[in-house]
Amino acid sequence: MRLEIERGELLKALSHVTSVVERRTTIPILSNVMLKATGDVLMFKATDLEREVSESVSAKVATPGTLTVPAHVLHDIVRKLPDGAEIEMKRDGDKERLTITSGHSRFSLQMLSADDFPDLAVGEIGHEFTIEAGDLKRLIDKTRFAISTEETRYYLNGIYLHPAETNGTKTLRAVATDGHRLAQVELPLPKGAEGMPGVIVPRKTVHELARLLEDTSAKVKVGVSQTKVRFEIGPVVLTSKLIDGTFPDYGRVIPHNNDKEMKVPNASFKSAVDRVSTIASERGRAVKLNVGKDKLILTVNNPEGGSATEEIAVGYSSGPLEIGFNARYLLDIADQLESEDARFLLADPGSPTMVRDGGDGSALYVLMPMRV
Amino acid sequence: MAIRQLSPETVNRIAAGEVVERPASVVKELVENAIDAGATQIEIVISGGGLSLIRVTDDGSGMTPDDLVLAVERHATSKLDEEDLFDIRCLGFRGEALPSIGSIARLEIRSRPADANQGAAVTVTRGSKAPVGPAAVNRGTVVEVRDLFSATPARLKFLKSERAEAMAVTDVVRRLAMAHPDIGFTLQTGEKKPAVFARGDRSSAAWLERIGAIMGREFMDDALEVSGAGSGASAPMRVFGFAGLPTLHRQDSTQQFLFVNGRPVKDKLLIGAVRAAYGDLIPRGRSPLLALFLDVAPSDVDVNVHPAKAEVRFRDAGRVRALMVRALSDALATAGHRASAQGGVLTVESFAAGILPSAAMSPPPSSDAAYQWAPPRPAPALSGTGFAEGAQTPFAVFDAPSADARTFAEPAAGETVDKPLGAVRAQVHENYIVAQTRDGLVIVDQHAAHERLVYEKLKAALADGGVARQGLLIPAIVELDDDDAVTLVARSDELTELGLVIESFGEGAVAVREVPALLGETDVEGLVKDLAAELRSDGTARALKDRLDSVASRMACHGSVRSGRRLTVEEMNALLRQMEATPYSGQCNHGRPTYVALKLTDIERLFGRR
Ligand SMILES: Nc1ncnc2c1ncn2[C@@H]1O[C@H](COP(=O)(O)OP(=O)(O)OP(=O)(O)O)[C@@H](O)[C@H]1O
Ligand SMILES: [Mg+2]
Repeated sequence: MRLEIERGELLKALSHVTSVVERRTTIPILSNVMLKATGDVLMFKATDLEREVSESVSAKVATPGTLTVPAHVLHDIVRKLPDGAEIEMKRDGDKERLTITSGHSRFSLQMLSADDFPDLAVGEIGHEFTIEAGDLKRLIDKTRFAISTEETRYYLNGIYLHPAETNGTKTLRAVATDGHRLAQVELPLPKGAEGMPGVIVPRKTVHELARLLEDTSAKVKVGVSQTKVRFEIGPVVLTSKLIDGTFPDYGRVIPHNNDKEMKVPNASFKSAVDRVSTIASERGRAVKLNVGKDKLILTVNNPEGGSATEEIAVGYSSGPLEIGFNARYLLDIADQLESEDARFLLADPGSPTMVRDGGDGSALYVLMPMRV
Repeated sequence: MAIRQLSPETVNRIAAGEVVERPASVVKELVENAIDAGATQIEIVISGGGLSLIRVTDDGSGMTPDDLVLAVERHATSKLDEEDLFDIRCLGFRGEALPSIGSIARLEIRSRPADANQGAAVTVTRGSKAPVGPAAVNRGTVVEVRDLFSATPARLKFLKSERAEAMAVTDVVRRLAMAHPDIGFTLQTGEKKPAVFARGDRSSAAWLERIGAIMGREFMDDALEVSGAGSGASAPMRVFGFAGLPTLHRQDSTQQFLFVNGRPVKDKLLIGAVRAAYGDLIPRGRSPLLALFLDVAPSDVDVNVHPAKAEVRFRDAGRVRALMVRALSDALATAGHRASAQGGVLTVESFAAGILPSAAMSPPPSSDAAYQWAPPRPAPALSGTGFAEGAQTPFAVFDAPSADARTFAEPAAGETVDKPLGAVRAQVHENYIVAQTRDGLVIVDQHAAHERLVYEKLKAALADGGVARQGLLIPAIVELDDDDAVTLVARSDELTELGLVIESFGEGAVAVREVPALLGETDVEGLVKDLAAELRSDGTARALKDRLDSVASRMACHGSVRSGRRLTVEEMNALLRQMEATPYSGQCNHGRPTYVALKLTDIERLFGRR
């Protein structure tokens, strides 16, 4: 193998693919990135066996070939080379080494044969649809905070992506929950997604996807099978296994009869929660919400640290209510809200509360209260 | 085969198989008899690991010739009132030991009661009794056992080396001696000098002296007196003894001595109580050192559940456990900041090691060369200027890492040397506080100490503020055994206090509705199963407390003064005062001491002044 490539191209592709590579692994080849030179493209691929990322960039290929080298080392080398540098990569005859030359720098990396490189080939992709990058980003960004990290409930360790229906409109819906709170966001069902099965996309894949979506505005092609999901974002392809489990019937925990509605100005609510929770230094402290006629009082009481109170004007006309929430959970939800007003739909201090983003019907949050 | 009545010899040999497992068992039976006879001095001599000879001499009540005849008869005892089988006040009560021993060895008993002028003797050789005859003997009883197991060669095969058997004998004698500081013991197991435990009384000082002689000085220095009383099933009970500081621990429990009514026992219930009391003060997998004596009314304990009487059964196990845990916890709490004196000893040892190998030290001048000795030459004065090496050297001082020792010549306001942890004198290496006490100095690990203080505070807050509970959107259903589910639900009030709300969910399952908020997202099913297992095995809901504690401990670690921070004198003195006021502050959350104390005498020893 022998080729020439521009540093910028190389760096971009490497930073996309190497982030899935585990720093510590017991299988040596998993620390490597695969390079495959054909025609005038160089293809990169990296995997952690659960997911794989590949990307193709153009290069001047003199001799085609395929090999693997340590991913993080290669990434670091390229990062440190000067901007705009031309880089030559060359395998020395039959030697198990890849030489990288640029200007006066020269590196030689131990390689491993690409024959043993795992392939996560998708097999049969049953359903394919296209979605705006911004829409996909919204689906995952607004739900991922609620993903469970508790490994014994593995089926909650991801986002449940599935076709649904709201008020007669077909939607593509993302749901995540950790058993304490739940987040649900949906958008009109893209063409091609009608018959897709409900799938649980693992947490790490979600984070990888969010990263890849950061600097793109292109359309994303999504492919779903029973066991895998694939996202094509421009030249980058992320393929991931799905969580093999059944997502619980989350519909049951979404309250429909909470009739006490509180309208809260979003910005002041967010900063008030943030301020009072300063006192709740430790995990598991409650913020108490005292809701009265057009008035909300937030209190945090910490026997060792002191207390904090803040009052906000809200829209509320039902009977008075006192309810406590985990300060961090409340902040997490407040962070998702974008409209001017948030709507809290309350029932009683022991039942789930629903939070909606003003007039935006496409997102809803459910939060279970805390008791002292 | 026809059914036959077994001969008395066979019956005795079978009994012997249960009572007499090895020479140490014989020693145990004989010494117990001497104790029961009211002896004040007991001498034990063995040879050949006890196989060729065991002799126990006492100055107790002695036996008349008539007693002697009965003593070697099976089921003859002076110690049991047949009216009340459960009223056992002596160590022996079965009337089985002597005849059993007589059936498998050559047994000779010589005895004389205090009021008789003439002694008597009886011999039993492998089960056959010779008539009682006169004998010359001091007041008291001498029992000699020779050729043990010669009648049962099969048993011989299972014995360990002579040395191991002798060790087992030593162990038995030590345990009995521990429980009876008012009796003097002499033990001779071979050629070596005999072990002597001098007779004392039953005062706690004498007791500690005796225990120290057996468990070692180190234990004596670090022992806390334990004492507590409570009501048992039918009568009052009490516990007394000594428990080591939590900073003193061993890998196994061989240094845990537990006694019930003066009888050494290995009892699960008591061991569990010890574990519960020490709890998180001791690193996982380590065992504390202690000697505890529990006295309960004979009617409240059944000692007749094990042939060698090593196990007991309490009528009300719950109360016994509660008393033990309470007495131990009280003792440990009073220890407060007290840390292991071991630290001081170790320190002295390491100091001593530090000065020895130095070749730079000149040997003491020998007498004839004395006049040749000259004072060491002063180091060459700094010479040269500019960039000459000599001129540069002083700057090297600034490179020396952590040579910073902030000393405070002026005593801090309000002289505090009289306080247990003394007055702060310096902070060294930005983590160690050096303080002066009335009789020495202490060195405090500031990070470890502060971490413990924060932890204790968090725990206290948890204990009195109640545990906040996070509701679950979907109740977690946990499947269990029927019994476990019932037990858990029965304890649901207690669990609610700890933040776990459960309710019954049909047969063999519980529904968890709320969990302690402090645990965040947690493995509910695992937690509930652990709790069920614990409630089943020893009736405590430790798993939940443990988890809360471990979160508290992690949080404590984050909230504490890190090493490497310079503290002001006021801050340091305040830390010491808090340690004195906080229970359990003598060790950090990981079981290491938070400070070591160095006695002035230790320091003097370092300088050869003692
Ligand atoms: N050293 C001794 N001094 C005085 N009396 C003794 C001594 N040893 C034994 N006896 C007497 O002999 C009796 C029989 O002793 P033995 O050890 O066989 O039975 P025990 O002690 O009564 O019960 P156990 O079988 O439970 O030990 C005792 O009840 C006691 O009266
Ligand atoms: Mg006896």
